[in-house]
Amino acid sequence: MTTTVMPETFRYVSFDSAQIRAVADSLLAALGLRDRDVRIEVDETTPLGRTSVRVEDDGTITIRAESGAFEDLRRPREQSETAVATSLGRLLLRVRDRLSGGFGEAPPDDELSLAQLAAWEAYCVGRLERLGITTNQQRWRYNFRNRHGFTDVGDAAFDRLWSSEGLGWGELDEISRTASATAAVTSA
Amino acid sequence: MRKFFPVEELARDRRFNQITMRDRMADPRSVLNGEDAGKRNNNRLVPSRKDSGDAARALMHGIFVGEIQALEGAGRTCHDFETANGAVKAGDTDTVPFALKLDMARQAWDEARHVEISVKLSGWMGSEIGQYAENTVLFAAACSNDAVLRLAGVNRALEGLAIDVFTQMKEFGDLAGDPYLEFCEDWMLADEVTHVKMGSDWLRRVTENDLDRRKKALEFQSVVDKLFSYGGTRSDSEESPIGLARRFRELAGFTDTEVEEIAEVSMSALNERREAVEKMKSAAAQLVDR
Repeated sequence: MTTTVMPETFRYVSFDSAQIRAVADSLLAALGLRDRDVRIEVDETTPLGRTSVRVEDDGTITIRAESGAFEDLRRPREQSETAVATSLGRLLLRVRDRLSGGFGEAPPDDELSLAQLAAWEAYCVGRLERLGITTNQQRWRYNFRNRHGFTDVGDAAFDRLWSSEGLGWGELDEISRTASATAAVTSA
Repeated sequence: MRKFFPVEELARDRRFNQITMRDRMADPRSVLNGEDAGKRNNNRLVPSRKDSGDAARALMHGIFVGEIQALEGAGRTCHDFETANGAVKAGDTDTVPFALKLDMARQAWDEARHVEISVKLSGWMGSEIGQYAENTVLFAAACSNDAVLRLAGVNRALEGLAIDVFTQMKEFGDLAGDPYLEFCEDWMLADEVTHVKMGSDWLRRVTENDLDRRKKALEFQSVVDKLFSYGGTRSDSEESPIGLARRFRELAGFTDTEVEEIAEVSMSALNERREAVEKMKSAAAQLVDR
């Protein structure tokens, strides 16, 4: 199966499509998704860092990433292998969750609430860390707190998501809802 | 000890990577801005923005390096100029009143505290020292040979911008329910209002009998204000991530006319960005037509 990166040569940033492809291949192998074609489209005309993923009718995984998602923040316009791995890894894990069952009730990505997305991100990045990818747990904890409130219950929910394997959508959503509900009570 | 320290030689350890405003402006992506070019009507930094966590972390790191440079700038102003013997005479740019130096020393003390607070907040938000490139434009504005221009460029323009930024971050912390962010920004905001007020007061006092010097200083401030509004980062429009904190600026000694002038400069920077985007889009369309 093949992994393609578009564009092959970058004009506005000093990115290396071969390295992006290598990181993607390594992740696909680690996540058991090697049987899939993957197409990665990088929008190098924006420094923003948004990403999206879609599974096409023929099974191809299409990833769209703005250049900021792969960028070394210390050296603007240069690529960071860690950023590439973290951005692709989160998306691929979400795809794997959806494909492997247990996430059938999950809304489409563009309909996830900010809290649901933060919870799923925490669950994904925790697993990426255990795969050996460098992460800053505090970054994701802060993101989770922003969506679920700054409470001890919220922190415990984050810790559970971060350290979990094999969660289903129902469990993940329940953890997120409980944390949000506690924050609402605390702030009332 | 050396006087008038150049921006290129600021001491930093290996964690930092410094860039200039020229580097930033040379990044074509900031004008092209992908599919979003000219589309987003609301970029204000609020928790409901999908990328708000990362945007707030980046801004906090910008505050942190800004505080380091503000500390360095205030410290240099204490040292770079001789102490005036009595009132500063018209045309004398070599001396400053002792009380002005005292205010700059107090400001350096405040900025050192702000650096420590910003480091803690950065860690709290999940970023590391030096994780983002450091733009050295703030210290560049503090390199003038005329202390009055430094007061206009740093205390009034840049510390004025700090008022806008801290107000935005304080609101962000408040809306997100982040108790530390909201509290810390509120305290630092109070200091920034004082710094701007010191700049405004000294600018008027030192140039009381030298209106030509005052005019040049205010022109310099306007240039710095526009530079820091580059790309429409700060303005009254919701398109800008940071709003103009009119009330706190008033408390800091800005007149209504001055606030309106800054608002105009900021909107002008935003409009220039819009025009640049339109030009890029039409140039791209022409390429496609060919």
